[in-house]
Amino acid sequence: MPAAEATDQGSSAAASSVRYENATKRYGDSAEAAVEQLNLEVPAGEVCVLVGPSGCGKTTAMRLVNRTVELSEGDVTIGGESVRKRDPAQLRREIGYVIQAVGLFPHRTIAENIGTVPQLLGWKKDRVRARTTELLELTGLDPELGERYPAQLSGGQQQRVGVARALAADPPVMLMDEPFGAIDPIARERLQNEFLRLQAEIRKTVLFVTHDIDEAIKMGDRIAVMRKGGHLAQFATPAELLMAPADEFVEDFVGADRALKRLALMRVADIDLWEAPLAHVGQATAEVRAKLQSAEVPYPLLVDSERHPLGWLSERDLAAETVPARPDSPLGPLLDRDDVMRDALADLLQGEAQYAAVVDRQGRIDGVLSVEIISEFLASPAAKVDENSAVERPRG
Amino acid sequence: MPSLAALALPLAKVGEVGESFFHHRTSETLPCQATDKLFCFDWAKENIGSYGTPTLQHIELVVFSVLAGLAIAFTLALVAHRRRWLRGPLLGATGVLYTVPSLAFFFLLQPITGLGRDTVIIVLAAYTLQIIYRNAMAGLANVPTSVRDAARGMGLTDRQILWRVELPLATPEIVAGLRIATVSTVAIATLAVFAGGGGLGQKIYTGGGLTFKTNIIIAGAIAMLMAFAFDLILFAIQRFTTPWRKARET
Repeated sequence: MPAAEATDQGSSAAASSVRYENATKRYGDSAEAAVEQLNLEVPAGEVCVLVGPSGCGKTTAMRLVNRTVELSEGDVTIGGESVRKRDPAQLRREIGYVIQAVGLFPHRTIAENIGTVPQLLGWKKDRVRARTTELLELTGLDPELGERYPAQLSGGQQQRVGVARALAADPPVMLMDEPFGAIDPIARERLQNEFLRLQAEIRKTVLFVTHDIDEAIKMGDRIAVMRKGGHLAQFATPAELLMAPADEFVEDFVGADRALKRLALMRVADIDLWEAPLAHVGQATAEVRAKLQSAEVPYPLLVDSERHPLGWLSERDLAAETVPARPDSPLGPLLDRDDVMRDALADLLQGEAQYAAVVDRQGRIDGVLSVEIISEFLASPAAKVDENSAVERPRG
Repeated sequence: MPSLAALALPLAKVGEVGESFFHHRTSETLPCQATDKLFCFDWAKENIGSYGTPTLQHIELVVFSVLAGLAIAFTLALVAHRRRWLRGPLLGATGVLYTVPSLAFFFLLQPITGLGRDTVIIVLAAYTLQIIYRNAMAGLANVPTSVRDAARGMGLTDRQILWRVELPLATPEIVAGLRIATVSTVAIATLAVFAGGGGLGQKIYTGGGLTFKTNIIIAGAIAMLMAFAFDLILFAIQRFTTPWRKARET
């Protein structure tokens, strides 16, 4: 495996394109195929989401790639090479594999789990150890967890290990079967965001299976909507899918709330934020009041000397002579510029807040997002036809 | 247990039953033994040395038969793991062996293997098959599908999946089976004396002792201690080979 040999230091082996050519899977003599004449190409380094109702053949289609399901007819090629010509076990070691139930080996430590494929490939111990540590850090886990057993980790941590394990030998292609499906909504959102950030860095070719259209829109560069019988209903970018569903089936599947779903295609940074009236501890309140006159946000935001937000000042706070060190109202939801717009709205609604402070990567205040900004955006014609901003996927 | 004694008589010449039988009769003059006291300390002190050889024989019988049983049952489990259709028939076959009464088993084997240690080991091993096989199969069946799927998807071959994933995960159940099999073998091995296989049975089935019980109590206590010791060793092995299970508890 020369690709992995050359690049285990960095984190980007050349990704390979994956191509289905009339790929068909039929079980036994059944009349209806599980996957019927599937033709699609996933360009190298892109995330292709296979989405559809249960029983539509999306998982089967994904499994054709690593031959955990064998083709009946047609072909699947990786980087131009047919998977049919490869030894299945050898082939699978070059394809990352993440499943919903994670499937970590309970009897192996986290480090051993992550080192599974490198060990199969005969890497030296030092190299496996270095790679394991690197991957734990890359997936946001404490390298000390390497000594633990899977049962000692939370579900979210286990799924991160699952991703780290799949990335271990730096495979050019990754298969992910509902990887975040079994995780609670909040942790799922975080894992999704982290994976997008990670993918922006490593640029693998990813086949991602889900039944959740929102997840598909959020994760995919391209989305393949499948319908029962393993037929491809539409293969398009998320924006195309939302703006021009190919037929009634896709339209139904995408849902009536298409405008709202467009929020999933945007980052907080893509929208014009309001400027926060800033206040510093010890500052004269009169000064702050003056600032409020011209501000869109009716409350001043208390920040420290590094411009990290601390909380909102209330009328009572402003009644004093100078700005107090402890603001009356807590900060509430804190958003990141890179957060997906839909999640930001959810955070606002969940926090029962009108306003949320938005910070940059260093945690410094960038602006304020309000429910009003979002509803104005949704009402504007831009939300319906602004193809350009939507097609350009913002990536970290 | 007069019926057992009666059964033992035809075999008495072969084993060492007869020896103690006669010994017992000639030492009738000792006061404690003549009475029906539960335990005679003087006799015990004097005769404890005579338990050494039977105890070692007993250990030998248990170790050899459990190891033989493990080897066979484990192989059967591996075969049945690959060929599903064999599971039922193998379970049935080992089950039938388990139901044959031990004395009948000894007599049935007598024309083929004669009497002696080997015959006893064959019978004892046959009894362990059902327990070990059943547990090994349960252990293999309990391996989560997701773990198997992940292993396959990462490029482990079937053989690697078996030895690196399925068997390690089935180890707790396999050792649990070994523990049950070993403890019950310690008990059944006391019948070895009827097939001339020696062991602690020699000290229990002396043929004469309805009133004299000291020998039975000592032999019984040694057997119990032995079962306990074997169980402890296997428990330690179970713990040692499955550190991840301890991790789960913390």
